[in-house]
Amino acid sequence: MIRTLFAVFTTCALTASVHAADMGAKDEPIKLAVNEWTGQHVSTHVAGAMLEAAGYDVEYVTAGYMNMYQAIADGEIHGAMEIWSSNVSEDYAKKVEAGGVVELGDLGLDAKEGIAYPAHVADLCPGLPALEALRECAMKFATADTIPKGRLIDYPADWGTPGADRMSGFDLPYKAVPAGSEGALITELRAATEKKSPLLIVFWQPHWAMSAYDVKFVDLPVGNDECFEDPKWGSNPEATHDCDFAPSRIFKAGWSGMEEKWPAAFEILSNYELSVEEQQPMMGAVDVDGGKVEEVVAAWMADNEAKWKPIVDAATK
Amino acid sequence: MSAAETSVTARLESMNAGAKAALLTLIVGATCLMLEPFAPWLIKWPAAWVLPATDWVGDGLSWVLEAVKPFARACSDILSYPMDWANVALNGTPWPIVIGIVTAAGWYLGGLPMAALGFLGLSFVLSSGYWFQSMNTLALVAVSVPLAITLGGTLGILANEIPRIKSALQTVLDVMQTVPTFAYLTPILVLFGFGPVVGLIASAIYAAPPMARNVLLGLERIEPEIKEAAIMSGGTRLQQLFQIEIPSASTQIMVGVNQCLMAALSMVIIAAVIGGFDDIGWEVLLTMRKAQFGQALLAGLVIVAFAIIIDRMSGALATERKRYAPFVSWVILGVSVLFTVLLWKYLPNPNDLRFLDPVAETVDQGLSTFTVANGASLDSFKNNAMFYGLLPLRIGLDNAVLPFTWGFSWTAAMSGWLFAGAGVVGLLLAWRGHVTAGLILVILTGILETGIAELPWPFVLCAVAALGWVASGRKLALVSVLLLATILLAGLWERSLLSLYLSGAAVFACALFGGLIGLLCAVSPMAWRVMRPVCDMLQTIPLFVFLIPVLMVFQIGEFSAFLAICAYAIVPMIRYTRHGLINTPDEMIESAISSGATEWQILRDIRAPYAAPSILLGLNQTILYAFAMLVIAALIGTTGLGQSIYLALGKADVGLGISAGAAMAILAMIADRIVQGFAEERRQVLGL
Repeated sequence: MIRTLFAVFTTCALTASVHAADMGAKDEPIKLAVNEWTGQHVSTHVAGAMLEAAGYDVEYVTAGYMNMYQAIADGEIHGAMEIWSSNVSEDYAKKVEAGGVVELGDLGLDAKEGIAYPAHVADLCPGLPALEALRECAMKFATADTIPKGRLIDYPADWGTPGADRMSGFDLPYKAVPAGSEGALITELRAATEKKSPLLIVFWQPHWAMSAYDVKFVDLPVGNDECFEDPKWGSNPEATHDCDFAPSRIFKAGWSGMEEKWPAAFEILSNYELSVEEQQPMMGAVDVDGGKVEEVVAAWMADNEAKWKPIVDAATK
Repeated sequence: MSAAETSVTARLESMNAGAKAALLTLIVGATCLMLEPFAPWLIKWPAAWVLPATDWVGDGLSWVLEAVKPFARACSDILSYPMDWANVALNGTPWPIVIGIVTAAGWYLGGLPMAALGFLGLSFVLSSGYWFQSMNTLALVAVSVPLAITLGGTLGILANEIPRIKSALQTVLDVMQTVPTFAYLTPILVLFGFGPVVGLIASAIYAAPPMARNVLLGLERIEPEIKEAAIMSGGTRLQQLFQIEIPSASTQIMVGVNQCLMAALSMVIIAAVIGGFDDIGWEVLLTMRKAQFGQALLAGLVIVAFAIIIDRMSGALATERKRYAPFVSWVILGVSVLFTVLLWKYLPNPNDLRFLDPVAETVDQGLSTFTVANGASLDSFKNNAMFYGLLPLRIGLDNAVLPFTWGFSWTAAMSGWLFAGAGVVGLLLAWRGHVTAGLILVILTGILETGIAELPWPFVLCAVAALGWVASGRKLALVSVLLLATILLAGLWERSLLSLYLSGAAVFACALFGGLIGLLCAVSPMAWRVMRPVCDMLQTIPLFVFLIPVLMVFQIGEFSAFLAICAYAIVPMIRYTRHGLINTPDEMIESAISSGATEWQILRDIRAPYAAPSILLGLNQTILYAFAMLVIAALIGTTGLGQSIYLALGKADVGLGISAGAAMAILAMIADRIVQGFAEERRQVLGL
């Protein structure tokens, strides 16, 4: 009995100490990384606005997504709010191991990746979104580079080759062509939608282009870890990867010195979460309606105080 | 020894060097083709023979990087001060005064036209809504250029003072210019830390070589009399150098400064890839990522506007022309200050001025309309180019001719007929006295049948050695083979052949069409008036911008990459061809006219041979440009060395990045030396 009481007591003490954190060096600005895509701008500016509400000074620093980890490890950038496990640089793991970078937990965005197509393609290849329809339609997707196989636009090579893995996994007659850059992927989507031409592409959400080009996913059988290791698993006994994409984690990371320098900010960023339903409309307001990120985020912050205020209050009061 | 054999030896001895080299290459190639079924390692370098060289490079470098890091970080701290000052100065100055200063400088340097250029150029920047970003970019250039000028000037003077290290230094300059910046981005990030300073250093590395080359050229060209006078008047070597020689080489040095400025500006986009800085390059990247062609073009044109202003003004600085009344410049400056003070309260925030957004929108819509309207015909154009051009070149007729593409399958018998036909024509050529041409024809047929990406490596080594030997001599042949062997051993051979194929095809197309356009521009001044701004734009606009329309129209793939490379690499071919053709000495043309030659005869017999060295130099630049573009083309999705560099960047793999960059530099430098060798030979024949 006494032990239980003691345990309850310590838990209370611990939660209390976690909650009311010290502000730390609040005169020095906290630098948040701004990468190359709008969703990340939204996630970062919401986090920044929360820090400002707590009384911090925030600075937004543009940084290349692939090579910002050295800067975080050096303490020149203090937080990165949206890192995708599906295409994170190997430098991240190296820097975490070396101790310069720490993970700050999940952002809470539910990402989905998959083999996708703009809606009009369903007319060209009836049977979509069923996977088997692709086998019949392969020649409709063929181009000069891939003939006699169909063409699948894969991620840029430095993000991995999930498209090529699926095609060999399901033994589909498609050649995966790496895109080279996100701009190239979007341009393909735009051109195919405007020309009403066939297109099969590896894509993900949340992304503003999902709604702008009415992108749909092909149905793939839900998989588990075994699917990626054991060829016998799934419809094709010869190959691995004959299942849907492993769910991608989207998480936050920061400079390892942050907890000590700005304890309250560390706690706010660690507890900060943003869902697809919250992020996607803001992305649309920026990319489709041409709003400014700062203004869109400020409007959201004003309307959704209940979502973020408790986290800030818990850390500062 | 039979009579027949004697005659063969006799004929062999009578052959010239080119024919011998070609014959040897042909024999090696034919042997490889015959042995191919039994020895697949002749085509594909076995993985077991690959040395883990990229790992060694990576490990070695990490060690060096750690050792140098404290020093580099100190440098980077020091450099961040001038960077901040430039930033504060440019962004703190109200925009009317910045425009006033540039216009006033324009007047002083070149009168009304130059002042108008400065005024209109900056007004364009102002109305684009990218004023702050542009000033950040200018701050970067303002710091990196003095750095590059100091570095380049020092290297140039060193090469002039110590003749022993001259050739080594020139190789260093070549390396600085040909290894793509993306290849060493990871190590310099580790060294100098994050932020604009890294971009500054990358652009200084790239911009220093033109300065060094021009300083060296200027110092070497000083008249001996001047040097002697300097020696006679006494004084230390340093005094001679700085008080006499450098001032008398100033015109050439100013050309170097001009080139240095342009090179630094073209690197702005690389600085943006690293980030840390809200500059115009970052805007280009963001809009490019959203496939907004209109906005990307607008941001890109801001860089072009700066490039043209800087180029024309520093160009005017390089020529010793008369200067215009400073009085007018002061008046312009005074007006701009007055304007600022009077309208201080009403001055809009320059980034809110977005007059050109509707234009960008229209351009973007125009691209869509164009793609939709011409989609089908452009697709068939692309397919033809792929089926009958690029594919056979890459994988050979034996693999590219399929029922889907040409309508029938390629058979071994067809290969036989092709070789027989080439053999007959080759023999015919040899019989007419063109032994080398005949042999080369047969070799080229073999390459077309096999495909560049599937050439046996002994053949490639032998062919390069033969070319090097004919172009320059034993030393080049030996060095080329050694360098290529390092690519083989590092396991980058297949990717290098893919890069070679893509840039080779692009160089061929550029040489053909660039040569023709250059010819047209030489004949008609009107054509040149149209082409010149196009050339300027192609060379200075960040090429990322053009990836969007190319992709919209031709989709991801080799053909798009090929077009993107051509768009950039064709420019020097046009410029140099035109330059060579119009600069034939007047007395030669006059004597041709007086002997009754027609316009066409003059062009063919007088102008063309005289222009050959200049055209070869253009070809040389085209080759270097084509290799430089490979990295950008990888953003479209090519699979050669460019892709390896991005892979390395993503993995932060220093060894792979540096090795792939080095392989690219090796290919470019071998091609460069071979073409220069031929150009030198032509120059000697012409007695230049």
